Amino acid sequence: MTIGARARRPRLAAAVAAVLLSACAHASPPPGGPNVIGYIDMQQLVQKHPLYDQLEKYDLTIEAFDLRATVPQATASDADLRKREAELEHELHAAATRTQQLLDQKQQQYQQQEQAAIAAALRGAGFGGPTAAQIAGSVTQTAQAQQAGAAAQMQHDYASYRTTLQSQDRAQLVAAQKALSGKAAREYSAQAEQLQAKESALSLQLANADAPTRLALRTKLSSLALDDAARDDAQKQLADLDKKEADQVAAMRNRDEQTLAALQTQLRGQIQQELNTQASSISKRSLTSLAQRQRQLAQQIAPFSGPSVGKGDTSGGSLPAPLRARIAQLHTDYQQRFQSDAKTTIADFQKTREDLSRRYAALHGVAGAAAGGAQEQIATLRRKRDDLYDQITGQIDREVKLIAQQRGISVVLSDVVAPAGGVDLTPDALKDIESLHQ
Amino acid sequence: MEHITRGRLAALVFALGTAVLGTTAVGATDVTGIGTLDQTILGSIPAFQTANRQLQQYGASLQKQYLGRAQHASQSDQAKLAQEFQAKMADKQRQLVAPLMRKAQVAVASVASSKNLTVVLDKRMVVVGGTDITTNVRDLLTGIGDPVPPVSTPPPSSVGFVDQQAIDATPKVKSASDDFLSFKNQQDKAFSDKLKAAHTDADRDAVLKEYRKTLDDRQNTTLKPVIDQTRSAISDVAKQKGLVLVVDRADIIYGGTDITNDVTAKLK
Repeated sequence: MTIGARARRPRLAAAVAAVLLSACAHASPPPGGPNVIGYIDMQQLVQKHPLYDQLEKYDLTIEAFDLRATVPQATASDADLRKREAELEHELHAAATRTQQLLDQKQQQYQQQEQAAIAAALRGAGFGGPTAAQIAGSVTQTAQAQQAGAAAQMQHDYASYRTTLQSQDRAQLVAAQKALSGKAAREYSAQAEQLQAKESALSLQLANADAPTRLALRTKLSSLALDDAARDDAQKQLADLDKKEADQVAAMRNRDEQTLAALQTQLRGQIQQELNTQASSISKRSLTSLAQRQRQLAQQIAPFSGPSVGKGDTSGGSLPAPLRARIAQLHTDYQQRFQSDAKTTIADFQKTREDLSRRYAALHGVAGAAAGGAQEQIATLRRKRDDLYDQITGQIDREVKLIAQQRGISVVLSDVVAPAGGVDLTPDALKDIESLHQ
Repeated sequence: MEHITRGRLAALVFALGTAVLGTTAVGATDVTGIGTLDQTILGSIPAFQTANRQLQQYGASLQKQYLGRAQHASQSDQAKLAQEFQAKMADKQRQLVAPLMRKAQVAVASVASSKNLTVVLDKRMVVVGGTDITTNVRDLLTGIGDPVPPVSTPPPSSVGFVDQQAIDATPKVKSASDDFLSFKNQQDKAFSDKLKAAHTDADRDAVLKEYRKTLDDRQNTTLKPVIDQTRSAISDVAKQKGLVLVVDRADIIYGGTDITNDVTAKLK
């Protein structure tokens, strides 16, 4: 059977055992003896311990984290992440296509206007026919091809740079969160341990102080000759004693829990604040780097953008110098008009891309930090849970030792598979553990 | 030596067994010759620490490899991968720890024999009493030369043990266990989605309570009948053999009476 299945079973075991054992609770206690072996159901006793609620809270929280951070869940997150990435990529691609279509339309429109103006100028100077269109159109095709290639390269470089940055950001964010969580966990544990030690010391101190009285009362109660009134009185004294100790420990525990809760809130706030600051700083730095890279790439691509008629155009070589100057002037004018018009469209696209980049970075940063954080939390919770479990079983062990001593039983085992002939000390231990609640 | 915890299936079998057998405990059989060993102290011997460190490093490296491969794998592939990596880890453990284990077993047997012990148990399950042989065994392991094995085999013990893994592997138990695990995996996925949709602490608590109840209900219908049968088989065999108690094999370090075969035969 797998570990997971095993881990859940003792709960059921104890539940079933509790029901079945209750039927036998009033049976006469089996005799003890120096060579008799006893046994206890540790799981059942743990469930009756006053600190079990706290232990169960740990179990519930761990279970919740496990449900969120199980491997299948991690895969689901990963698939979810990929889906959201794809959506963002799709949005970016759609924005780029829209922008390119707009630019193409504008380019075509300005080219036609430029060609018409050049053709009119040529006709005015006595040069008719297809030559005018050839002069205006031939170089534009080359420019378009160069522009398309450069734009594709720019897009590729930009995407690659963005991926690298995001990977670095994620690593930095996870490392930051790990360091902050570790620091907070250490601070919390130190405080919790200190308070726990004080609680244990108080509990022990009270138990030791009352031990002779308690033993005397129990001995009195085990006497068959005791009349009802005296028995009631002894039981009341014992109950009062238990209550007095439990009240003192509970009061201290309540104060400690409040202290710890306040500390936890404070630490969480600190972590979140510091993490937000670091995440914001990392994100800002990355976005600045991305914008810088985008500007560099835009500058590299600038010579290819917009319609262009080369100055050394051979097809216009036979034209008179003033006409060539006029054509060049027309081209410059239309190029400036197109670039001015295109600038708004490109700015819109850049804004969209920046927004998508920001969302992309956030998506990766948050996912990475969340996954790392969950594992860290589970490990911390398990350690605390184990510490608490050890404290509980330690106290049960002490109670059982007292009972064994009273019953004269030399050996007591816990968690046996089948007790074929031993003495079950669980009911006696249960009474003692339950009295801690009072 | 195998590290164990207190809570496991054994506890379940025990708990149910207790209910039936508790009233028959009157006139309990005397038990002598029980030894105890604190394995954490043996674990602090340098040779064990070195082996454990190497094992942990290997485990960490395996973990990285597993996460790398499991990240994009389907759920069934992840289960296969987990098995593959667990097998690798077990191999490494055998390779690194087995020679030390053999030496430790000889040392335990030697000390137990010299003290007339019939059984040595893991100290963690012994609440009161028993003869603690930890110091003697540690001295033998850290002393000059190898410990010498005892001439005689352990005398018969009134403490019995069963190999829980062998019992888990019997068709009836395995089938029930597989059925439950399959159900649990489905529920893990379903409740994970529910938990994601829960926005308040109260919603999350409700989801977790429902999750637990769903699993507990399934345990009662799937596993309980099999556990009842197991309990009954162990109790019958223990009575036939005149044993005082039956513990899990993982808690036995030396000696004891193995009743695993008798129990598994009854379960078939």
